[in-house]
Amino acid sequence: MLNFTLIKIFFKKLRKTLFSNSFNTIISLLLIVITYLFCLNTFKWLIYNANWEVITSNLPLYAFGSFPADERWRPAAWLISLLVLSLVTLFGPKWKWLHKNLLIAWASTIPLGLYLLYGGIGLSPIMSRHWGGLTLTILLTVCSSILSLPLGIILALCRQSSIPLIQKLSSIYIDVMRAIPLIAVLFFGQLLIPLFLPVGIEIDRVWRAIFAFTLFVSAYIAEDIRGGLQSIPNTQIEAANSLGLNQYQIIQLILIPQALRIALPALTNQSIGLFQNTSLMAILGLVELLGVGRSILANPEFIGEYIEVYVWLACVYWSVCTIMAVLARYLEKRMTINQANF
Amino acid sequence: MNRNQKIFSQFGICIICISVIGILINNLTINLIRTGLGFNFSWIFKPASFALAEHVLPYSSSDSYAWALFIGWLNSLKVIISSLLLATCLGTLIGFARTGKNSLLGLFSAGYITIIRQTPLLLQLMFWYFVGFLGLKNNMFFHIKNIFKISNQGIEFLGLTLSSEFSALLFGLSIFTSAYIAEVIRGGILSVSRGQWEAFRSLGLSERKGLLKIIIPQALPAIIPGLTSQYLNLAKNSTLAIAVGYSDIYAINDTIINQTGRAIECFLILLTSFLLLNLLISNSMETINKIIINSRKYN
Repeated sequence: MLNFTLIKIFFKKLRKTLFSNSFNTIISLLLIVITYLFCLNTFKWLIYNANWEVITSNLPLYAFGSFPADERWRPAAWLISLLVLSLVTLFGPKWKWLHKNLLIAWASTIPLGLYLLYGGIGLSPIMSRHWGGLTLTILLTVCSSILSLPLGIILALCRQSSIPLIQKLSSIYIDVMRAIPLIAVLFFGQLLIPLFLPVGIEIDRVWRAIFAFTLFVSAYIAEDIRGGLQSIPNTQIEAANSLGLNQYQIIQLILIPQALRIALPALTNQSIGLFQNTSLMAILGLVELLGVGRSILANPEFIGEYIEVYVWLACVYWSVCTIMAVLARYLEKRMTINQANF
Repeated sequence: MNRNQKIFSQFGICIICISVIGILINNLTINLIRTGLGFNFSWIFKPASFALAEHVLPYSSSDSYAWALFIGWLNSLKVIISSLLLATCLGTLIGFARTGKNSLLGLFSAGYITIIRQTPLLLQLMFWYFVGFLGLKNNMFFHIKNIFKISNQGIEFLGLTLSSEFSALLFGLSIFTSAYIAEVIRGGILSVSRGQWEAFRSLGLSERKGLLKIIIPQALPAIIPGLTSQYLNLAKNSTLAIAVGYSDIYAINDTIINQTGRAIECFLILLTSFLLLNLLISNSMETINKIIINSRKYN
């Protein structure tokens, strides 16, 4: 009896939203037909026509690039630790000590990753030209986001500074960086930085790329944080002054925490954008995820299997982006809860 | 900080900046002398001696580098303007579909937006070029006699031919940007309060007329700034043309660097041409914004 009324309500709602007038009905029917055809053809292709060997036989290549085969457990351990940490952050038990130590755990993933990739104490050293695949993509993203955050904060503070020269210099830097395309900055990093260094000093390609990404992203982060700084009411600064805090204490204790919280959604969007933009390094000669795809497609054994590779890469990028977005939402939620506790 | 401290600190910063720049330029000159290149722009009037598949104005490989760069700039402008128009149309449609009453259509556009926004543009461009156009082999995918034709040669429409590189770039850029524009449009429409919708409905205006006369004029001031930044992003993203082999300003600079090794000069040219493009877009959007604000005032 109950089921019958539910079905009735469901159909009524369906009629109201999908078939309210003739125009809507035509569009809805058209969409249903298109979905049907699309799904049918996609499933047919996925099961019968697609040649998934190009993916399955190259899986280690996509994940680790040309990392030596018997050392592959190192990047694998790092990627798995990142995945486990995100799962624990999102779905783990809500113990207090765990939540307190999560930040330390996240911060320690970077030295851990660099140690595992470079080798050194106890592990055989591996040159950065062997790094590649998803490992390199994630390393680029993580290192550049971490480095560009402090630089962005400094730039934003400089742009708000009362000293005209500092303010002018940082606004010129921010505006120029935001006006030029990322690929030009990366190109600068790869080809021009060696020209600006003294003879004999060399920085390897991966770090030059991280440096270029940092220069680029910090300008965008600076603008996001400036938005946060500007939305802090002036009364906060007056209150801090009347409490006897000095200039640096005001910046450190009052302005930056609030600005960061306001700018948080924009900042997480920047790091998701950065993750996607690391794919540009494929044009400039690093073998990250998309670069691996390109080199596999250049292999005569797999020539012409573009769709499989691109669909696979799109799925990988999409899922990592989604994980990042979910983590970002978690972080935002936690920050607002903190605010309510005040 | 008092006045003296301010002047003193500015002086200090000046010295630090100048010395850092000095060290860098010193390193640069040493390196340029070592490689035997030096820094000058006299090469720019020598013949370029490379062919360009696509040019708006007449070009041959005996023309100078300067002319080749200008052709590249025009090519950039061509792809930016055409994908800007296409992306705006597509984005508006999807934005309205996302906010509309039809929930199935809303679901579809939400899916479209997430898929497009969560995959890198470079991957999408390569997909459109290698799968979308070159994957067609020579059999025509879509063919209406003498009017419309899509093949691996590109698109032909009423005698107007677009090369496959240009069309792939046009499709990729417009589809990528349209997802962002759709979100801007949706934000603009949602920024108009519900009361306005209820008010025009209660006045007996038709849905279409209400949308055109009441909702859109109020949504526009919220939409235009977001749209401007998306257009600027589009212009910057158009440099990815090099991945599909379209000869835009970045690709031509890249070719010249490979030929002559003059990386610093070409980088400066690239910077200037981009500042010019940005000024062009932001100024025209500013003008449009002013026109909209004025038209609202006089009504």
